[in-house]
Amino acid sequence: MRKLTQGNEAVVRGALAAGADYFAGYPISPSTEVLNVASGWAAQHPEFRFLQAEDEIASANAIIGASLAGAKSFTATSGPGFSLMQEAIGYAQKVGVPCVFVNVQRVGPATGMPTMPGQGDIMQVKYGSTGDYSPIAFYPNGVEETFRLMVVAFNAAEESRSPVVLLSDTFVGHLNEVVDLDEVGLTVSVVPRTIAPLGRHEAGKPRFFAGVLMYEHGPDAGEPATADGDEYLRQFYETKHRHAEVAERYALYEHGWNLDAKVLVICYGIVSRVAAPLAAEYALFRPIRIHPILADEIRAIADRYEQIVCIEANDGQYADMVELAIRREVKRVPLLGGRISIEAVREGLARVMSGGPSEPPIPPTPADRAERSPLGIG
Amino acid sequence: MAVLTTLESPGLDFKRRLKVDLFPTIWCPGCGIGTIMIQLAMVLEEMGLDESNTILVTGIGCTGRMGSYMKHESVYTLHGRTLPVAEAIKTVRPEMNVIVVSGDGDTASIGGNHLIHTVRRNARLTVLCNNNEIYGLTGGQTGPTTPTATKTLSSPGGNPNSPINLQGLIRSSSHAMYAKTTVYHQLHMRNVIREAIEHDGFSFVDITSQCIENNGRRIGFASANEMLTFYRKTYKRAPKGARQLAPFEIGVLYPDGHPSAGDGTAASTQKESTGTAAAGGAAPASAPVRERAPVSDEEKARRRAESQKRLALMSRLDPAVKLDVATGKISLADALRAAGIDPDAAP
Repeated sequence: MRKLTQGNEAVVRGALAAGADYFAGYPISPSTEVLNVASGWAAQHPEFRFLQAEDEIASANAIIGASLAGAKSFTATSGPGFSLMQEAIGYAQKVGVPCVFVNVQRVGPATGMPTMPGQGDIMQVKYGSTGDYSPIAFYPNGVEETFRLMVVAFNAAEESRSPVVLLSDTFVGHLNEVVDLDEVGLTVSVVPRTIAPLGRHEAGKPRFFAGVLMYEHGPDAGEPATADGDEYLRQFYETKHRHAEVAERYALYEHGWNLDAKVLVICYGIVSRVAAPLAAEYALFRPIRIHPILADEIRAIADRYEQIVCIEANDGQYADMVELAIRREVKRVPLLGGRISIEAVREGLARVMSGGPSEPPIPPTPADRAERSPLGIG
Repeated sequence: MAVLTTLESPGLDFKRRLKVDLFPTIWCPGCGIGTIMIQLAMVLEEMGLDESNTILVTGIGCTGRMGSYMKHESVYTLHGRTLPVAEAIKTVRPEMNVIVVSGDGDTASIGGNHLIHTVRRNARLTVLCNNNEIYGLTGGQTGPTTPTATKTLSSPGGNPNSPINLQGLIRSSSHAMYAKTTVYHQLHMRNVIREAIEHDGFSFVDITSQCIENNGRRIGFASANEMLTFYRKTYKRAPKGARQLAPFEIGVLYPDGHPSAGDGTAASTQKESTGTAAAGGAAPASAPVRERAPVSDEEKARRRAESQKRLALMSRLDPAVKLDVATGKISLADALRAAGIDPDAAP
């Protein structure tokens, strides 16, 4: 049935469509609706397990435990909670635990501006935990896409045996659109769990899931490999190649607007919706798979345009990645402080296209006490 | 007070629970963790729990390595994160026994918040806490259970703070079972571990254990044996009906309303008389205590040399053969002969 559905609700609906049966979380705006909707579902469906944990550290570790025990599990949080989860994400990367982390971003760092929209966690997804790893992440820009990408995230997690991140933001999470998710749900395909759950192993060969480097095969299997660089290389590249291969199956992006324009605008998430009035004058490249970066796709498309501008609600995090991937200058329009509006986009574009700096003019501190919004926002 | 002793050997079947071929363990000579592992293996054997129905979750620290030496599916979690992982496993697979084995630093310090809330939610877990009052793996820093004024690497002037009250913390929940035991009191430990696994609710076994290398020597003990002797002399059973364990008392505290509530030490004593003799059951309280003749220092030195020689010879054997020797399938002499090693030659 077509009905008004919120982005955060679509997160849960998508997870359920993908076969999720465990959620752990901790309330944090603007992701809290995910927790609320999941708890409501659990109340009516006892086979769906729900835990409101004491903090995000516990939530992240709980979904790892649940996944090892055989459940398809997920959690949802915002930037500050995502920071707390980094430790567990690194563990899930090392051990190879399929699970999904949803980060509904707000303006950081720290408590920041709760809960104005931001996109400041692009790099945190890639580099947030200790050591080298190769995360897979997606970023929708609407309710139906949130639903679809949640299924994709679960599928990629199962195939790559790794934690996959679904990025969102205050606006996408709180966006209400009329969609028929039941109908959409009929069109998605779901990858089943292939790893044997804890206790369902091959008899006589119990496994040892360790965050520390262990020999996995051969005569030393089960012994620590903490001083063996060869073993590290074998495991690191096996994992990296597996993730790359899976990511390749989900090379999702949108290339549109005015394809004959001279300038290519790169934006993603809610910014791509807000910037839609630019459609007549610019071409659009919207990455849906954020990590690993769609280097070949961007390179091929960018070749057709004279200039590239990256508009994003952070200080150029994705622009840095693009510049590094295609070795071409990328102009930046940072939309900071939650100011994601078409006015801010046009202002920024006019500035950088006329050779100006990406940094916006800093408004002077007002002499008088500012009038507060009655809602405490804006 | 009846002194407990075991006249019937619990047998060696528990070795099936252990990956003997990975021995010797990484733990220092004299460490208490191996004893806890052996007692846990005995209890699992006794209760018929095996790899198909029991999962181990361990944390970071010396204790965390226990999972790699036991033939169970095991999750070696991040530092302090055993409880959320274990709770989720138990939620998804309620038919499995989930046993958490971890040190005091992992459980009570970095994992302290998880402990408070896992107790509050009464997760059906059994936690064995190797409480050696120190961060051993990193060389001997003050831990959450280090007594006040103890000198450690990170408190050279003596620990200025009080240790955490684990009993009070666990007992703050109306469902949780708390037990205190020591590595010296092995039979008692075995009994409380069994009761903890049987308890339908959160159970916590606080096991005082010796870390001779990174704590004991610094605070004046010459050997692990001295530390164990100290436990024997200072730790006493709590009086029957105890509702709280005083310092240096061992016993079991059940939640209010539980059939065994207020039994103090008694719960485990009762078990001993009904336990199965073949699998570690104890003698009745009236059984004579087996006296042991004092051993001279020369005799001790001779035994030590013999044991070291045996170890050196074992290390030259193929791992598969070593396992057979360790499990008693073949004698060491036969194994050496088969491998063409002269037992009398210098190693």
